[in-house]
Amino acid sequence: MKRTALVFMVLVFCCAVLFASGGKEAAAASGKLKVALLLSGPANDQGWNAVAFEGLKAAEAKYGLETAYTEYVGIADGEAAFTDYASQGFDLVIGHGFQFGDPAVRVSAKFPKTNFMAIESSVYSKNAASYVMACEEAAYLMGILSASMSKTGKIGMVGGFEQPSIIKVVEAYKLGAKLVNPNITVYEVYISSFTDVALGKEAAISMADRGADVLSHVANQAGTGVIKAAEERGLLATGDSYDQNFIAPNTVIGSTIYSVPMLVLNAVEKVKNNNFVGGVFFLGMKEGVIDISGYNSFESKIPEATKKLIADTKASILNGSFTVPLIETRSGK
Amino acid sequence: MDVPLIATLTTFLAATIRMATPLTLAGLGETISEKSGVINIGVEAIMLSGAFFSFLTVFATGNHFLGLLAGMAGGAAVSMVHAVVSLRCKANQTIVGLALNFLILGLTSFLFLKSFGQTTILPSIAVIKPIQIPILSRIPILGQALFHQDIFVYLAIALVIGLSVFFYKTEWGVSLHAVGEHPRAADTAGLQVDTIRYLACLANGLLGGMGGAYLVLVKLGFFMENLTAGKGYIALVTVILGRRNPWGVMGAALVVGAAEALQIRLQTMGIPIPSQVFSMFPYVVTIVVLLFSIGKSSDPSALGVPYERDKR
Repeated sequence: MKRTALVFMVLVFCCAVLFASGGKEAAAASGKLKVALLLSGPANDQGWNAVAFEGLKAAEAKYGLETAYTEYVGIADGEAAFTDYASQGFDLVIGHGFQFGDPAVRVSAKFPKTNFMAIESSVYSKNAASYVMACEEAAYLMGILSASMSKTGKIGMVGGFEQPSIIKVVEAYKLGAKLVNPNITVYEVYISSFTDVALGKEAAISMADRGADVLSHVANQAGTGVIKAAEERGLLATGDSYDQNFIAPNTVIGSTIYSVPMLVLNAVEKVKNNNFVGGVFFLGMKEGVIDISGYNSFESKIPEATKKLIADTKASILNGSFTVPLIETRSGK
Repeated sequence: MDVPLIATLTTFLAATIRMATPLTLAGLGETISEKSGVINIGVEAIMLSGAFFSFLTVFATGNHFLGLLAGMAGGAAVSMVHAVVSLRCKANQTIVGLALNFLILGLTSFLFLKSFGQTTILPSIAVIKPIQIPILSRIPILGQALFHQDIFVYLAIALVIGLSVFFYKTEWGVSLHAVGEHPRAADTAGLQVDTIRYLACLANGLLGGMGGAYLVLVKLGFFMENLTAGKGYIALVTVILGRRNPWGVMGAALVVGAAEALQIRLQTMGIPIPSQVFSMFPYVVTIVVLLFSIGKSSDPSALGVPYERDKR
């Protein structure tokens, strides 16, 4: 009897925890447009996934949607997650990341009435689109900023996985840095993780040990470790995805801003107006999707010439007279 | 040797030790548990719980010592759940450990979300600074790596020495081994099998929680979902690699730590090899070392087998 009671208690506890922490929020049936979001990590990673989640919530508020989301969708689970939402009758299912492209296309053939969207991917079908953010535009400006603020002539860049959507940022960053200082050394490390903050921090420390004094990242959650390492060593850092100055106010000189909310709103609007089509769409500064943050407390510490160079470059990207090269394979030094 | 090389070597060794410390602490805990015959693969859960509760405590009180205690308590809570379910309810120990890994990942993420909300602002705490040991820390290369570290590193070294005495030179050590090798004989000899196993599980939780607390209190200064990112599983590997010998566990942790520290440094130096190859490095080392230990299984005979006094 005692054992039965114990088992029962454990079961109740497990159920409570499961329901409480479940990332999947079921939407109640009604006539509203239903949009689901798949995330590769936690929604509160203070980075890549956080901005997508914000986008979903913004769209929910603006269009009165029913939304649902799933966190920690691994590469192998993408197809199942898309199928899941599509068969539940969702109108738009968004996969937030390069790796969701192929699963979206595969599932889209089976569910012609559902619209699929992969952010940062490169494949499409009739009802599956890839929305690519021109992250390299902002990364180029971060390269200029970092190189200008470096006293040692050495800066570092920590990338997540070595995949096209990350490589293009790293390469544009290097080009921007070289524009200011052709002799600059840019250390680059790909840590093969978007979540291992401790590894991100170690990678940054290894760069600091070699004399780098401005550290940047495109590593989502793991990148927070990079910023923390810079703060601890009294160095400078740049943020990624959104204004990360909050993390370390006296360290982060500027951040790239990828306005995923704009991207999500854009897609939802198309679904609402029934003109969502497949294809690969590039959205950048001109479309208001890519931007860079203000300089916060560094406003007065960054040389006027640097600020002007960045503003000018941004202006020429906006008016189309300059295009940041899109390099998706890793170059050497 | 020229100066940059010495500097690189020094920072490499320091990084190795930084990475090895949490693995050593958690590995030592698991060693105690396995010696008593309880295999708990929920080390990841223990570390994550330790990390979470130490962060929460330091965030609220600002006291790092309390944070350490809370981390150890957090780890112990998880290992005691494992102990009760596997010793009292005689459940499959591996499955319980596995379940705990997922349960605690969800639970800590949920509690973190409830405490701090869905935010883009990162709550953080001050980290514990390294302690410089005078004179010794001025030894070239090794000095900075060994004697300019934080309190946890010294604690880990002390634990390795202490446990190797405890395991092999004391009566308690013999009892621990007896319970893991032949619980019936131990019972006949008057040892309380389950009590010793509960104590071993408790030690496992305390040390694993300490390992998790190290990540938060020393290395990072903040908490995030899935902060341990698989370190608990690597700690399990160090136990096997180190053949459940405290020195062996520390050695294995250092090998894994060195492999990780090396792969980052090789990349920073701009060696033109794909990053994926570097990331495999620690695991390749693990497999190679395991290959060399073929045929020398030293598992305690009663590992994973609950003791039932009234059965034979």
